[in-house]
Formats: sequence, structure tokens, C-alpha cells
Amino acid sequence: MNKLRYIVLSGLGLGILFPFAFLAMLSFSGEWFFPEVLPGYFGLKNWKEVLTSESGMGISFASSLGISLLVATLGTGTGFIWSKSIAYHSQKETWLVLAYFPYMLSPVVLAACLNFFFLKSGLSGTWQGVVLGQYLVAFPYSVIFFQAFWNHRTRQFEQLVLTLGGSSRQAFVQVILPLAKGMILVCFFQTFLISWFEYGLTALVGVGKVQTLTVKVFLYIKEANFYYGAIACCLLVWPPVLLLYLNKRFVYNRLV
Amino acid sequence: MKSKPAFGLLFFFLLGLLPFAAALVYALLYSLGIVGILSEGVSLAYWHQVLQSGELLGSFLYSALLAGTGVVLSVTLALWISMGLRTSLQHRFWSLLLYFPLAIPGMVASFLSIQLLSKAGFFSRISMKLGWIDRLQEFPDWINDSYGIGIILTFVLIVSPFFVILFSNVYQNERIAELSTLAYSLGAHGKQVFWQVTLPILFSKTKRIMILYFIFLLGSYEIPLVLGQESPQMLSVLIIRELKQFDLKLIPEGYVVAVAYTVVIAIAALLVFRRREVQVHE
Repeated sequence: MNKLRYIVLSGLGLGILFPFAFLAMLSFSGEWFFPEVLPGYFGLKNWKEVLTSESGMGISFASSLGISLLVATLGTGTGFIWSKSIAYHSQKETWLVLAYFPYMLSPVVLAACLNFFFLKSGLSGTWQGVVLGQYLVAFPYSVIFFQAFWNHRTRQFEQLVLTLGGSSRQAFVQVILPLAKGMILVCFFQTFLISWFEYGLTALVGVGKVQTLTVKVFLYIKEANFYYGAIACCLLVWPPVLLLYLNKRFVYNRLV
Repeated sequence: MKSKPAFGLLFFFLLGLLPFAAALVYALLYSLGIVGILSEGVSLAYWHQVLQSGELLGSFLYSALLAGTGVVLSVTLALWISMGLRTSLQHRFWSLLLYFPLAIPGMVASFLSIQLLSKAGFFSRISMKLGWIDRLQEFPDWINDSYGIGIILTFVLIVSPFFVILFSNVYQNERIAELSTLAYSLGAHGKQVFWQVTLPILFSKTKRIMILYFIFLLGSYEIPLVLGQESPQMLSVLIIRELKQFDLKLIPEGYVVAVAYTVVIAIAALLVFRRREVQVHE
């Protein structure tokens, strides 16, 4: 390895790790006044305050986690089941182009235009409303995602089971589900991340009552409370790092 | 368990398409003055007003410029990294580390940009320590600036890692290394192999994803909300600002922008994804 390559690689590695290290450092910092390059205080004070005070960080973390798990479960489950109808339909391409509409539209604009319906149905300002709003984005994604699974080979497997005397339920449980296990897992992770990262739609439908971590980060930015903001960012970033680690071997290598 | 095709399509229509259609129809009706608290019957006045003010077109152009620049810079940087460091990045350690930036959402990226790029940010402090600037005011405006530099840099921060991974995987899956060897054996030189073999294959396999990313960035919300300026604003920020204002008479104008944006996205979806077998992870 020549010297230049070594330098560039080191720079790339540092560049990737720097945001995570900086956020962690900021979350443990205090009294960091301009133009000091390093903080005047470094310790556990902010984390202790967040855990003991009524900052609501724990509730935000739990809300984010609960909403994301629910959206991922519903989005992946229904997307997997109903994507089959589209995959084997004679007008498959037309349906799929239509599926791209809500997926490509900015979620916050979709939520803004649907806000009237959320208000009328009483879902505005509730976690159920936020789940539904995010589901409307995750579901089309899931439907599009599973199109790669419902191919000729899968269909042949299914037909083979039926030919050999198996029921359609047996074909689904004992053949299709095991075949799709990897993709279901990947889709679950992806829809989880769609929900976990979502801000605009959540803020609009939740009207400040549903405070997920992304909403919290924005509030701290507005308050210029950067130390608590960094803690919220750390809580937002580390779970996906773990998920991406688990997800990595499935996502691109198999599907690209 | 067998999924009934008609029921499946009905479900997809109800939860996948109907909300989109309902949103578009409601926004259209509002923009035409047919529904809404202060509606006075069908009127094209709001459309006329918005089109005349030039804010819609300005926001479209501004958004397209920032999104386009973001995608071009991200793709260029990703190409440089993924092709220049190709052999090293295949190592297990790198194949894991490269995924880490994908865990950074737009809101966190915006927070980081403020902390690093603002006048009182980390880079400004380092510049002062190194003697490059003497006063806070001398540090360039990168946050809430008129050129959207902070927004573009943040776009690059969140988009380029994805393209590094994508290009690396397409390179492997399309066997570009073998094709390059073949080209070399036929007498091609380095630049010819890159421009006439590697690049065309990478682009043909990823161009739709690039367009998709352009559309995502065009409608991005939290990054321009935190890092943008008052005017011009990116589309999503403009739409939400118009819809949330106190003057109820002006709300239909927000729906005009929302309808225009939605129609553009629908046309883009038709142009990009029609006449192809859709594979989301092409």
C-alpha cells in the first residue's frame, strides 16, 4: 500500500468515525465557550441530568422505539402479503408505478395534505396517528421491496408444493416464509429506519404531543441546548448502527 | 395461506394509493377555493397569485439546484472513493465501517452541521486557534447562507456513503474487474477502461437510483428547515410554512404549491419507472 493511499484511507476512516465521536464528546461536555477548541467540563453531568430530570428523553426514546417497531412490523407484514397480488398481476408495472407516487413524495407534504383527515378522525396529536402516517410511507416501500421476491422461481416452488398435495397454507408457512426470511428481515430493518429517522410527518401529525427523538433534537436545536441535543442524537444514531451491522450482509450484497 | 389477489389489490389501493389520491384531491380543492374555512367557491385566484409572485418557480429552481448539486457532488465523491480505494474497501473492516454513516438521519446531520460549520462551530474554533481568522465574523457563512452551502454539504454527508456502497457492489456484481482486464488485454489504457467500460456500466445500473435520490433531496424537509434561510426556501419547507401561517386567506396558496409539487413528482415517477420491470434494488 503506497503512502498516499494510506493517508486517504486513514482520512476516510477518521471522517466516518468523527461524527459519532464528536456527538459522544458533545454529550459529555459542558462550559464549552467560544473560541475554546475543547470543552471546559467533561463528565457525566448531562447524562445524569437527562436520566434523573423531567427532560422526557426516556419517554422519547421509548416512543421512537415503539412507533418504529410497530410501523416496521405492520409495514413489512402487510407489504409482504399484499405485494404478491401485485407481483402476479397482469398490470403489475402500472400498479408499481402507482406505488412509487406516495413513496417518492415528501412525507411531510403528504402529511400536510392529509392533515384535515387526521384532524377529523381524531388521530392528530396521537401516537396512533403518527403510526398510521408513517405506515402510509412504509407500506408502499415494502410492496416495492418484495417485488424482487415474487419471481418465477418462487411461483414454481409454490406450485410444486400444491402439485405434491400440500395446501396453500402449508406452501406459505413451510416454503414461502422460510424462503423469504432474509428479505423479510431486511425489509423490517429498512422500514424501522424509515420510521426511526422520520421528523416532518411526525412533528406535523403529532403536533408536539408525540415527541420522538427526532422531534426532541429539533426542539433542542431551537432552544440552543446542544448538550442535550447531542444526547438525543447519540440515542438516535447508535441503535441504527447496531441494526446496520446486523443488516449489512443482507442489504446490498444480495439485492443490488 | 393464500393471498386473494383481488383482496390484496383492494388493500393496496386503500392504504397505498387512496391516501395519496385523497391528499392530492383535497389539496387541489383547497387550492381552487372549493373547500376550506374561507372558501368562496371555485376560483383560480390563488393559482394566479402564486404563479405571479414567482416564489413557486424560485423555490422549484432553488430546490432543484441544491438537490442536483448534492447528488452530483455525492456521486463524484463516491466514485472517487469507491474506485480509487476499491481493493482496500473490500477488506472486512471497511465493508463494515462504510455502513456506519447510513445510521445518521437528516436531523442529526443538520445538528452536526450546525455544531461544525456555524460561525461559532468547531471548525471556526480550530481556524481561530490556528490563526487563520482573528474574529468570529471572518469565518464564512455556511449555515443559513444564501447559497445553501450548509444544505449541500449536509446532503453530501448523508448521500455519498450510500453511493460508495452501491458503486462498490455494482462493481463486483457486474464483474467490471474482469471486463476491465479484458479491455486491457485488447490494448485499452487506464483512462479508456475507466471512461468506456467502468463508468458506463456503473451509470447504467445506478442512474434510476440517482434520479430517485434527486427527487428525495428535492422534497427533503428537516435539513433545509434547520440549515436554510428565509427566502428562497426549499419546496417542503415553503409548503409547510404556507400551510401553517396565521393568515387563513393565504393557506390555499400553500396548497397550490403542494399540488404543483405532487404533480411534478407523479410525472417524474411515470417517466422514471414506466416501461421497466421495477426492481427497487436494481
